[in-house]
Amino acid sequence: MAAKSYKRLLSLAAFVMPAFILYTLFLLVPTIGGMYYSFTDWNGLNRAYEFIGFANFVEALREDPDFVHSLWFTLKYVMFMLVLQNVFALLLALFIETKFRSKGLFRTVLFMPNMISTIISAFMWTFVFSQVLPQLGERAGLGFLNQSWLGDPGTSFYSILIVSLWNGVGYMMIIYLAALQGVPQSLREAAVIDGARPWQVLRHVTLPMITHAITICLFLTLNGAFKVFEVVYGLTGGGPGRSTQVITLNIYEEAFSNNFRYGYASAKSVILFLVILIFTFIQISITKRREVEA
Amino acid sequence: MRTGRFSSLLITLALVLASLIAVFPIYLAIINSFKTQGEMFASFTALPTSLRLDNYTEAFARLSMMSSLANSITVSVLGIGGILLCASLAGYKLSRTPGRLSQFIFYLFVASMMVPFHSIMIPLTRMAKELNVQGSIYGLSLIYIGLGVNMAIFLYHGFVKGVPRELEESAHIDGCNEWQTYFRIIFPLLLPITVTIAILDFLWIWNDFLLPLLMLTNADSYTLIISTNKLFGEYNTEWSLVLAALVLTAIPVVLIFMFFQRYIMAGITEGAVKG
Repeated sequence: MAAKSYKRLLSLAAFVMPAFILYTLFLLVPTIGGMYYSFTDWNGLNRAYEFIGFANFVEALREDPDFVHSLWFTLKYVMFMLVLQNVFALLLALFIETKFRSKGLFRTVLFMPNMISTIISAFMWTFVFSQVLPQLGERAGLGFLNQSWLGDPGTSFYSILIVSLWNGVGYMMIIYLAALQGVPQSLREAAVIDGARPWQVLRHVTLPMITHAITICLFLTLNGAFKVFEVVYGLTGGGPGRSTQVITLNIYEEAFSNNFRYGYASAKSVILFLVILIFTFIQISITKRREVEA
Repeated sequence: MRTGRFSSLLITLALVLASLIAVFPIYLAIINSFKTQGEMFASFTALPTSLRLDNYTEAFARLSMMSSLANSITVSVLGIGGILLCASLAGYKLSRTPGRLSQFIFYLFVASMMVPFHSIMIPLTRMAKELNVQGSIYGLSLIYIGLGVNMAIFLYHGFVKGVPRELEESAHIDGCNEWQTYFRIIFPLLLPITVTIAILDFLWIWNDFLLPLLMLTNADSYTLIISTNKLFGEYNTEWSLVLAALVLTAIPVVLIFMFFQRYIMAGITEGAVKG
């Protein structure tokens, strides 16, 4: 018996080992390492470092206005994305569902931006914002097009949103479309026969049947939006000044392009991790309660 | 759903408008990539007068397109291949082994899916330096395997539950050892989920920016995205050149999308629903 369980353990080890070694080296150890470093004053210039307790966390939240600003800026971005990305994606999915012959075409075209890398999308849109729109605005006399899309802190928030939505809506739309296909046609027809108006069918039949997809898409949007990096890096680089800097960019700058304060930057990344965990937990506990079984 | 003719028209209009917005920047990038700088500034929206390929040949040279493309392909193939092999082995075995230990290992993998990349990038960079894998595309592939196995194991683990055990038992009776059973019987049966994982990982690795930015330090090892980023930084006033580079970088994914559209969309839905 003992020999058999030993053999079983050995075979488990043999199958799991390749994945586990690489996982440990490149994900598990860095995760624990990051948490450990966040309590130290380690920097890239000096190999020796000391344990300094919560000093990094206190500094980040109390004495670092740039970081606090990036936190609020990211939070604002997340809230806008959470609403807009899901509303647009769901609307487009509902619209496409009503079509028969053009369904495939619209689905393909609307999903395509999602295939293009986020950073490449940001560069393409930089061209649109900095060159094309101002020229169009000038020639066509549409003044609102001719503005500093990327140079003004207030406007560039919306430019960042536009590019994020352009890039991200298609993905959520696909998930909603799949969910809509799972709603039995008979249920909707029954509601219509009972005299429900299209809006009522949507509100009382369709939406309750796809809450599972709504939960998933809210989760994906929340997670993705807190980690936003490429769009901002490509469009504004966090500028002008640090007015459009998001958390990830602030961490990146602290660790790799400013003063190499790895310990301090690690503390910020632990804060980011905790913020994501808390918000995800809240979101899941709210939306899970609303899910119904078909 | 039955809709009136008027609202049906409105819906079509909305969809057409959305489609125009979706295509707009790509269209602009393509038409302007054929123009000279002067022609471009005369009008961004006019069609090019001729199909001039100068921007493309220059971008091709400046990007060292061939080597960047080769690097991107190498990293994707090695990364995806490694993930599929390591994760299917582990996911299968963890799913088939009862007990606390295998459950603990499985949950360790799953829990790590929540860790944001930005929370590990600093220690990861140090680890890569210590292990001497920074700066090489082979090292980068190994890192992708380490970062990608958790989700793949999760998906394989769930899929294996639906594969009947009798198959393994009869293979065992027929004299297959564990590895033969795995490679001859089990792995082929995992094909549907393997395709899903391969697609999701391809889109991730091919389009990834921050990890290669941190890892690839010399131009020989740049992936397409990283060379384009460098080019954008250096020549950001020469728009016609930059646009040609952007189009060149986007072409491979768009082509793959055209061919594998059905699988990509199915893969996304499946990955999202299970994950």
